[in-house]
Amino acid sequence: MRYRIMLIIVLLLSVMFSIGQEDQYLIGRPAATFTLKAIDGKSYSLAEMKGTYVVLHFAATWCPFCNAEAPHLEELYKNYRDKNIQVFIVDVKEDKDLVEKSLARFKFSFPVLLDADGAVSASYAPEGVQPDLARDEVPLASNLILDKEGKIRFYSLLNSANFDAKLTQLKQKLDELLQMK
Amino acid sequence: MTLLLVIFFAVVGSLNRGISEPIVKISVPDATGYAGKSSRIILDVEVKEGYHIQANKVKDEFLVPTTVDVATDKNIELGKPSFPVTKEFKLEGTNDFLDVYDGNFQITIPFKTQRGVKKGKYNLQARLRYQACDFKSCLFPKTIEFIIPLTIM
Repeated sequence: MRYRIMLIIVLLLSVMFSIGQEDQYLIGRPAATFTLKAIDGKSYSLAEMKGTYVVLHFAATWCPFCNAEAPHLEELYKNYRDKNIQVFIVDVKEDKDLVEKSLARFKFSFPVLLDADGAVSASYAPEGVQPDLARDEVPLASNLILDKEGKIRFYSLLNSANFDAKLTQLKQKLDELLQMK
Repeated sequence: MTLLLVIFFAVVGSLNRGISEPIVKISVPDATGYAGKSSRIILDVEVKEGYHIQANKVKDEFLVPTTVDVATDKNIELGKPSFPVTKEFKLEGTNDFLDVYDGNFQITIPFKTQRGVKKGKYNLQARLRYQACDFKSCLFPKTIEFIIPLTIM
């Protein structure tokens, strides 16, 4: 009987732990490839980014957390672009004119990609996470780092209780990766 | 053993709870108006626990404010909806605060009927638009369509 109780407790703890670490199982896995048009009219393909570290941020103009991170993403890009790092914002399911108008205030010097139907965003939703949400809603406000082989090395879903607007953890991970090369 | 398994699945189930439960619910008590007089419609809004929605007046023009639109009727003159006092939601790691609503609150819509209005029951088409976030997600803006039952005496 004692053994069974222990088994149940271990099972419960493992389920609770796995839910807490829900975005972490993607670490080390290949990122979903995509080709998207940017608001500058050019097309960008993730496949062409092999050999470069890529920072992805999923956003929408109405997302307050995304807007709070926006100036820090620009700062990050300026500080890291000479270190073989490319930043992309993937705007989810919004009209190009609205995105252009909204993001003009941030004066981004990196491409803002338009995921018009949300398919790319949905492909980055960790399986089983937030099952009550639409799949393309899940990655909103999250940040990823993809390594030079296109594998996911960092994935932070929104956690507004410990919101990292200044991207401290992302920068730490980037520095770690750059030191490893 | 069976009891332990029941507890196990209950706990696992509770961790995944919330499927298909709406984030925002509206209930509209029957409103009554009198010919030629002013009255008001009250909307009871309930935001799911843990979530907040943006206020009616937002500090950033690109945020989606909570709004109510009611289809006009030539016999009923609708006033500007009145929203409750907002709560402040701090964006951690910044100096910014969002104005939001959460929990249960009311929206009041004043109206006045024409003196010669036909007495009886009216169903006014209405829409509530909002954008919700909780601590783990921000959801696409949504619109709820509903009916406001109004009796003119």
